[in-house]
Formats: sequence, structure tokens, C-alpha cells
Amino acid sequence: MDRYQELDHTADWSFRAFGRDLAELFANAAYALFALEGALDAQSTLTREIRAEGIDREALLVNWLSELLFLQETRYETYQRFDITKLTDTELEATVWGAQAQPATKFIKAVTYHDLKIEQTEKGWQATVVVDV
Amino acid sequence: MISKHELERLSEFVWQVPRTYRDDMRAPARMYADEELLDDALEDKSVEQLINTTTLPGIVKYAIAMPDIHQGYGAPVGGVFATAASDGVISPGAVGYDINCGVRVLASRVNADELRPHLSNLATTLYRNCPSGVGVSGSIKLRGDDMENILNRGADWTLERGYAQMEDLPRTEEYGRIPYADASKVSQKAQERGHDQLGTLGAGNHFIEVDRIAALYDDEAARVLNLFENQVVVQIHCGSRGLGHQVCQDFVDRFQRVVKTYDIVLPDRELVAAPYASPEGQDYVGAMGAAANFAFANRQVLAFHIRRSFAQVLTGHVTDFDLHPVYDIAHNMAKLEDHEIQGETTRVVVHRKGATRAFGPQSPVLPKDLKAIGQPVLIPGSMGTMSFILCGTAGSMAQTFGSSCHGAGRVWSRHRAKKEVRGEKLRAEMNERGIEVRAGSISGLAEEAPQAYKDVSRVVRVVDAAGIGKLVARLEPLAVIKG
Repeated sequence: MDRYQELDHTADWSFRAFGRDLAELFANAAYALFALEGALDAQSTLTREIRAEGIDREALLVNWLSELLFLQETRYETYQRFDITKLTDTELEATVWGAQAQPATKFIKAVTYHDLKIEQTEKGWQATVVVDV
Repeated sequence: MISKHELERLSEFVWQVPRTYRDDMRAPARMYADEELLDDALEDKSVEQLINTTTLPGIVKYAIAMPDIHQGYGAPVGGVFATAASDGVISPGAVGYDINCGVRVLASRVNADELRPHLSNLATTLYRNCPSGVGVSGSIKLRGDDMENILNRGADWTLERGYAQMEDLPRTEEYGRIPYADASKVSQKAQERGHDQLGTLGAGNHFIEVDRIAALYDDEAARVLNLFENQVVVQIHCGSRGLGHQVCQDFVDRFQRVVKTYDIVLPDRELVAAPYASPEGQDYVGAMGAAANFAFANRQVLAFHIRRSFAQVLTGHVTDFDLHPVYDIAHNMAKLEDHEIQGETTRVVVHRKGATRAFGPQSPVLPKDLKAIGQPVLIPGSMGTMSFILCGTAGSMAQTFGSSCHGAGRVWSRHRAKKEVRGEKLRAEMNERGIEVRAGSISGLAEEAPQAYKDVSRVVRVVDAAGIGKLVARLEPLAVIKG
């Protein structure tokens, strides 16, 4: 199963992430975010514990990805491995692995709710996300 | 998706989606375009997004698409609409993440031929002095209550600290200070994101460009703005950086709940809104104003670095290189304004996303010297092509809530641009045409290739012909500086 695929969008970026279960879906959506930025680093040298909340599953996905962007921008880090340790429809806890990063020249400003969908498929789950770049 | 035959043609350049097109529309939607630009707009979800904005409670007259419209999220880029301040809503997603992203133009008294021998050195110096990219620390360390002051007082803070000249402020929209800004409504997270970013350009489509005036179309406006042919001018395009992005994110998240409180049903969650007059709506207004002040201060500090760069490179070689302000405009904002609706002056909240304010002559908010010509409207084109300066008109006041377009508008996705254009080749082509390019990212350069955008001259021709802006000057690039 692919972790994600990039979709066409005139101005911004859009991707579809896949997972056998919701935890894998949330992890792969995070992976897609950093893969699109070209910010994946081979060597993980640090970990962070992350918590996110949302009023429903879609809002939780937006807030989880937004928290990663916030940390990336303020701590000058990039992340490549994502372990979801707790996941309900409204709460998430995760451990992420990453590294200190050079300032990125490309980046995602924000994760939007536009056309946001989390759907069950024959193979598991998929999420469609539009991000502002 | 809507097709052309479902539109009413109101005049040569104005097309309307009737209110009857979709059950949930509260007003019609109008598009300013010639046939080719209209065909471009109908190819993606721009028009659907425009129609979605007409479902917002309290919308007045009609929603408007500028000729540079393209697909965004929530509201389209190039979209304008107004809601009644009394019982309408305000929507953070219809303003956008980069609050008060905007353009500033500075003009020297040097002509392009005098600058030419120093151009390469100037481009390198600008790239070095104006930090670009993401997460790049600015040259300014904020201390104590600096952030609170910037958020509440915008350009006034930069003047106190010596980053601005007195003449800069009247040549900035709102004098560079949104009066209702409220730093206490900006989250700690947003302030943390902005902490290291004052005086930084950012990435994406943001840039600094050194241009020359290639043509003038309006002698009176050129005289008032001190513009002459072959003059060296500088454009800055950037916004409120991570601080603004976080403010928008915070409120789009918070308003997911608020729409339930106020029973607002919308076709797109990105458009979530709160009544303008509600406590939640006013919290966003205060935070948005503060983010806008941060953006004004950001462009002002960049202007300071640009002036410093000109002095470093040109002192002793060229005289009169001082950069005086032409204007500074916002293109992602919602503003409380009075407009005439059905013969009555009505207070409305004008949302402009990828669209600029374009107030006509005699507008009371303009400084005295600009009242004769109307507010300058600064329209950057796609990289390496051309840009325009226009002025607002009586027509923009009557037709579009005093608004005009903001740029060329994309037609290709970044994905397609990267596939079809090689950054290195693009740079070589620009070099061959005598344009100096300094860019942090070569693939980022490819994404901004001119082929990915509409023809900006076509866009401004429609604006001028439809009477919602008046052409003043055409700019051609000499040097491009990008993240």
C-alpha cells in the first residue's frame, strides 16, 4: 500500500494518504506532509511527544498535522517517523522522530478543512487533505 | 461543475451566476473576465468556491471574482464579498492564512541604465540582507513587550525604532496600523511562530524584485506618485508569516464549534464563520488586525533592509538612490467599510482574498496627495514577466466594494509546473534576458514559472476596461530575489 499520493490543485498542494487502520492513516498523512516539503531526513536524532485534540476525526487530523508544522517552524526540526500511541475520534497522542533541520526553502503554511475527507475503503482508510503553500 | 451557458453575460467583461443556480445561494456571483480568462476559471473549482461564499449569512449585493481568480480553499483566490456588519458573518478562511499578505512598491530617482553596472552586486546584497526561506531568523531580535507593540501598533512601532521614514506611513494602507488590532487575541503559539520572523520574506510565491518603469499610461498619476520612464523601483511581496498562519488556523479551528452555536450551515468547513458582532467574531477581528500590523511591520523592516542594501552598493557610484514609498497594499483582509447599497450607505465587512482594496479618487481614507488620483493598486505579475501599477476608480467603488485584482493568478498546479519546467533552465532564460536571479530553491523557482500563471497584462486589461481600476504604469524586472 502506498503511504500517500499527491493530487493536483491549481494553487496549493493536495494529497491523499492511506492506512490499513486509522492510526496508520494519521501517521502516513504526517509522512506525506514532510515528504511533500522534501524535508525527510535519513537520520533520526530526536523525539517529541505530541498531543492533539479536535471536535471530530477530521478536525483532529487537521490539528495533528498543524501541531507538527508549528513544531517544525518554531524548533527548526523535521520529522519522519510517527507512532500514534493513542487515537480516539477527538484525541491523539504520538511519539515522533526527527532531526534538527536546515531552514526549509519550501514549506506548508497551513492545513485546511477544504475538501477534507476521511473515508473507509476496501483496503482500509484514506484521507484527502488540501494544504496552503 | 458550472458551464459557460449557465452564466448571464451582463456586459463585455462581467458574467453572473444567477442566485437560482444553487438552492443555498443567498446572492448572485459575478465574474470579471474576458472569454479566455473565463474559460481558465471554469476549468477548476474556482467558481464553485465563489458560489460557496454566497451562502454566507448576511452577504450583500453579490460575490465577485476578479479576472485573476483561481482555486484556493474556502473562498477562491481573487474573491471579494461583503457581509452586513449588523447581522452578517466574518469568515477567517475567506481571508486566508497569510493575513495581510501584500505588496509594497518603493521608487528611486535612478534610471535603469545607471543601475545596470551594479545590478549583480545589488541582487546579491539584497539576497543577503533580506532573509528568505522558512524558519529563517530575522535580523531583528524582539525583546520584552516588542511583540505586543508590533501587534497593536504596526508601522508606528517601526517608525519609533528607526525602520521607517515619516513619509512611509501615509503611503501604507491604513497608515500601516489597524486601529482595532488587539494583541491579547493572538495566541501564544502564533506569537511564538512570529517571534523570529520579523523582517523575513518567507518562501512560496513571495519575492523582492528590482524593476524598471517600462511604460506610463497616466501623466497625472505618474506625477503624483513621482514615477518616470526607465526609473528603478522595487517591489516587496510578503505577509504576516507564521504568525498570521497560526491566527487563521486557531480561528478556523475554534469556529468549527462556533458555527454550531449560531446554527450556521455551510457547504465547506473551511468557510466557517461567526457573526461579525458576536464576541467570537470580534475576537477574530482583533487578532486579524494584529496579524495585519505584523505584516505591515514586516514589509517595513524589509524596506529598511532594501534601503540599506541600495546604500551599501550604490553609495559613491550613483546619486539619488534613496527609495521613496509609492504605496503598500494588503490583499488578504476583511475590513469594516461603508459602501452604497441600493442608494443607502451601509456598513459592511468586505472580505478580500487575493484581491486588493482599490478606493477611488476623493476617498476620505486616502492621504491628501492621493485624493486626486485614487488609491494606488499594485499588481505583481508572474516571475520574470511584468507588473503593473493602477489606481482605484469611481467604478471600483460602485461595482466591486472598492476592490481590484491582485496578480496574474495561477493556471497550473505546482505539481505540473515542477514536471514541465526545469528551474535551472528557467533561471538561464531569465539571465539571458538580463534579469539577475537569486533564489534559495531551484524547484521553488520552477513552481513559480510564468507558464504556471495567467497573462497578467490580460488581467489588468480587463480591470481597466471594466472600469474597476485605471492603468498607471508597467514594470519590467531587472532582478528577482526569492526564498
